[in-house]
Amino acid sequence: MPLFEEDPAHLSKSRLKSDLVAHSVALPPAQSKKDVYVELHLKHIDQKNAADFSSDEEDQVRDVADKEEDAEDAEIPDPSGLTDDDLKAALLEHGFKAGPIVASTRAVYEKKLRKLLQPDGQDHLNGAEKGVVYSDSEEEDEEEEEGSQGAKEETVERSDQTQQESSQNGDFFYPQCFLPSSRLVPSGSQSVMSNGCSFSSQAFSITQMVEEMESRRSLSVSTDTERELNGSNVQEHWSRSNRLDMPIVDKHSMKNQSLYYTPKASPYKWGMKLSQEPVKDTFKDMFPDTQATPTGIHATRRKPIKGAAGRPIQYVYPDTPASPTTQERRAVERRLVPIQIQILVFLIVVVLLYLIYACVEDNSFSPFVALLESLNQGSDGEEGLLLPAETQDTPALSGQE
Amino acid sequence: MSTTSQKHRDFVGEPMGDKPVTALSGIGEILGKKLEQQGFDKAFVVLGQFLLLKKDSEIFVEWLKDASGANSRQAGSCAQCLREWCDSFL
Repeated sequence: MPLFEEDPAHLSKSRLKSDLVAHSVALPPAQSKKDVYVELHLKHIDQKNAADFSSDEEDQVRDVADKEEDAEDAEIPDPSGLTDDDLKAALLEHGFKAGPIVASTRAVYEKKLRKLLQPDGQDHLNGAEKGVVYSDSEEEDEEEEEGSQGAKEETVERSDQTQQESSQNGDFFYPQCFLPSSRLVPSGSQSVMSNGCSFSSQAFSITQMVEEMESRRSLSVSTDTERELNGSNVQEHWSRSNRLDMPIVDKHSMKNQSLYYTPKASPYKWGMKLSQEPVKDTFKDMFPDTQATPTGIHATRRKPIKGAAGRPIQYVYPDTPASPTTQERRAVERRLVPIQIQILVFLIVVVLLYLIYACVEDNSFSPFVALLESLNQGSDGEEGLLLPAETQDTPALSGQE
Repeated sequence: MSTTSQKHRDFVGEPMGDKPVTALSGIGEILGKKLEQQGFDKAFVVLGQFLLLKKDSEIFVEWLKDASGANSRQAGSCAQCLREWCDSFL
């Protein structure tokens, strides 16, 4: 079947020309559309092939084929077979305004049209254009996506690293000293520890907050200490494990509860635990004798429940950290005392100014002296100092007069 | 803000005059030779092509990739360079 073997629409213009020439068909004008060539091709060449078959069928088929091909030609033209104007028109049909189609630009525009034609039958036109537009930037987009993902990963990694670093810092500092570590520990952990103090002051029941605070700290240290203490006393362990994370707490929950309520915790252990508090210097002052954790136990400061199980309140904990409001109040209170001094100074200044005014206003000294006397009578304490000054001034003034 | 190379800044900062095609940002020796073989021996000829394509960066990139074998980055850089030059001097 000739239609299946060679579809004239899929042949190039030159091929159609050559076929027509081969079949000795008169060529249409040089700048004719390809459709014209195709029709001629179909008409003449297919007619020749149709001679083998029943003409009616061929004609019908050919007509249908012609219609189909004509219809198809409008949708799937060969970009290279189009004229410059046709190419431009085709591009415009697909929503792309092309510049002048000259020798150097033709190839690009044909390529563009092909790209526009290919996904046309499948996807939406905009999608095809977008595909064309972003085809070059695919790598970049992927790179950007990868970069963004990498950035996200990096940020996640950084956050993890910071956590690890802080935990590592905690690891590093805890074993050495408590006070330096308290200063060197990041502020977050300090606040954590202070919060831990406040929380411990309220209730010692293993609070989730404490666990959270502890989680911010170095878990590795806790695990290390745990490993160290595994063989050692459980009592030493419990104080530390109280602040560990949930799993660790779960491990020692029984021990913790049992140990917490037992007064067996020796004062030495308490002292150790408290001395290990790197939060404030008062502890060191309170417990100067305590050694740096020989056993490596690092316990957070924890207030015992007052009177719990008959345990006396042995240690005075420093006040809870000042909230901003309390700090403001303290600042205001600090000023209260100076305020009195300010009032005093103000009064002195007022008196001085009044005296000067009186001196300037009144040339005669009798009212001035009367003023002085009245002033002297009024306040002896403050003005006593002024008396000699005034008395010295008056002779001078009298001298001038 | 995209980082521009010194070559880009050198080209965009002054009229191109008779600069060779290798003066364009993204066009090195190899790409320059290929362009010269096709007749684009001076930067202004490539500019002409850019203008013929109505200063459409995407189409220009397509063309440059076809004509010289440049990759997306090089072609994009050249397109940006020409676009900025046009903004300043055209």
